[in-house]
Amino acid sequence: MPLIINDEYPEKLFREDGKRLDGRDKHEIRPIKMEVGVLENADGSAYLEWGNNKIYAAVYGPREVHPHHLAKPDRGILRVFYRMATFSVFERKRPAPGRREKEISMVITDCLEPVLFLELYPSTSFEVFIEVIDADGGTRCASTTVASLALADAGVPMKSLVTALAVGKIDGEIVVDLSGIEDKAGDADLPLAITWFNNEISLLQFDGAMDIEEFDKCLTLGREAAEKIYQIQLDALRSKYISIQESV
Amino acid sequence: MEHEQDESDEESTAENNETEGIDEFDDEETSREIVVPGEVLTEDTKNFFPGRGTIFNKDRTKIISLNIGLKQIKRNYVNVIPLRGFYTPRPGDKVIALVTDKNPVKYRCDINAKEEGILKPKNTVKRGKPRGFRGGAPDNHENSTEKYEIGDILIVKVLSADRLNSPELTTVGKYLGKRRDGLVITIDPPKIPRIIGRSGSMIKMLKNLTNCNIFVTQNGRIWLKGEDIIHERLLIDAIKKIEKEAHTVGLTDRMSEYIESEKKKRGIN
Repeated sequence: MPLIINDEYPEKLFREDGKRLDGRDKHEIRPIKMEVGVLENADGSAYLEWGNNKIYAAVYGPREVHPHHLAKPDRGILRVFYRMATFSVFERKRPAPGRREKEISMVITDCLEPVLFLELYPSTSFEVFIEVIDADGGTRCASTTVASLALADAGVPMKSLVTALAVGKIDGEIVVDLSGIEDKAGDADLPLAITWFNNEISLLQFDGAMDIEEFDKCLTLGREAAEKIYQIQLDALRSKYISIQESV
Repeated sequence: MEHEQDESDEESTAENNETEGIDEFDDEETSREIVVPGEVLTEDTKNFFPGRGTIFNKDRTKIISLNIGLKQIKRNYVNVIPLRGFYTPRPGDKVIALVTDKNPVKYRCDINAKEEGILKPKNTVKRGKPRGFRGGAPDNHENSTEKYEIGDILIVKVLSADRLNSPELTTVGKYLGKRRDGLVITIDPPKIPRIIGRSGSMIKMLKNLTNCNIFVTQNGRIWLKGEDIIHERLLIDAIKKIEKEAHTVGLTDRMSEYIESEKKKRGIN
């Protein structure tokens, strides 16, 4: 017999003590763990645990483009394949890539392209495979973060890493790093990605309602939180080599 | 005619690698500091210029790293010695190639680069060899792809390579040609200088201690052959250890200790 679950959201997204449902403060990010070089056969790889999100990313390239007509004679191309596992969400996700996955793949491609030197690798492709094993809100931001880490691990020349996170509004309050339920039941959702070589925003999507002052506040809060995540990214990249240096 | 065909093959084993003797990892100027892409290496842009693996930022106020690697300041250039990366063919490189495809005009070889290398039959035989009967018809091998089969391991030299065209290869030259025995292993191409060591010190040590022949090539592939499989295994383990610990100090001494202790453990003389 199928299990029927009512898709009900709680009325309030803040607890009585003023904290969020998972016990975080308004401007607190979820616990993050990152690791690089986790997949043996990929040129570069990374793994990320961000709250309940669990994501793997693998990078291959530069290599020849298949199908060949996609190759550009003057520059390389970056292809991102964002996929969700069937068991990653509550109701079984159909394994075929849908509209949402294609869109997110495109969004991440456009977000990562500015940091790469694709013009140095004509008629080749870099391929990033992102597999979401467990999803709980903000997977497009988490995927962007982990994809840039995997690219760096593969030794692809890049201007800087990319960090992404979502800022939003729930129950009239601006909060940082929305979880799955806050994303669905909240008022507004603003994923943004920052490229650190010029401190510019490389991805900005918006869904919901917000006035212009709140929007500005979101951007400043997002930048502050992104810097914390950036430090975790740097530590993850370095620790792979530093741990070997210390062990000998 | 028959015996001449293989002249470039067998003799060439030991004493090969034309090492320039530069081990970037073991240079005095190379710091042990690990830098990551986007990291600011120096803000003193008047005295320093970006070298390998580094660029100026847009308004020329900083020099930033492009790779994950080790920071090196040489004269007034700031370099980053990469720890990960891929092989880019350059003319003159000797590389190990695997024949993946052939047709009557050319062979295609996998050389661990982004594009497959092209080996034309005219580049597989020496020029100026005596022609056929009374200097008449040309040698059969000059324009047919019968010399090598798909799946052969070749040591080749890169004749020409650029960003746009497939690299062109040749098997004519010292130490070049088909390999009929031995093993080929692959490591990260940026760590090849570490296997060779400063003026070939590491590779000499490996050869002496394991009694194996080694041929190290720039595309990250290493050909090796020892007395028996036990020695070869020991050598492969040692190479994997060097690859893993390439960015640490005092590696050559540590490796000789490692090999000696492993020899005792495994019961090799």
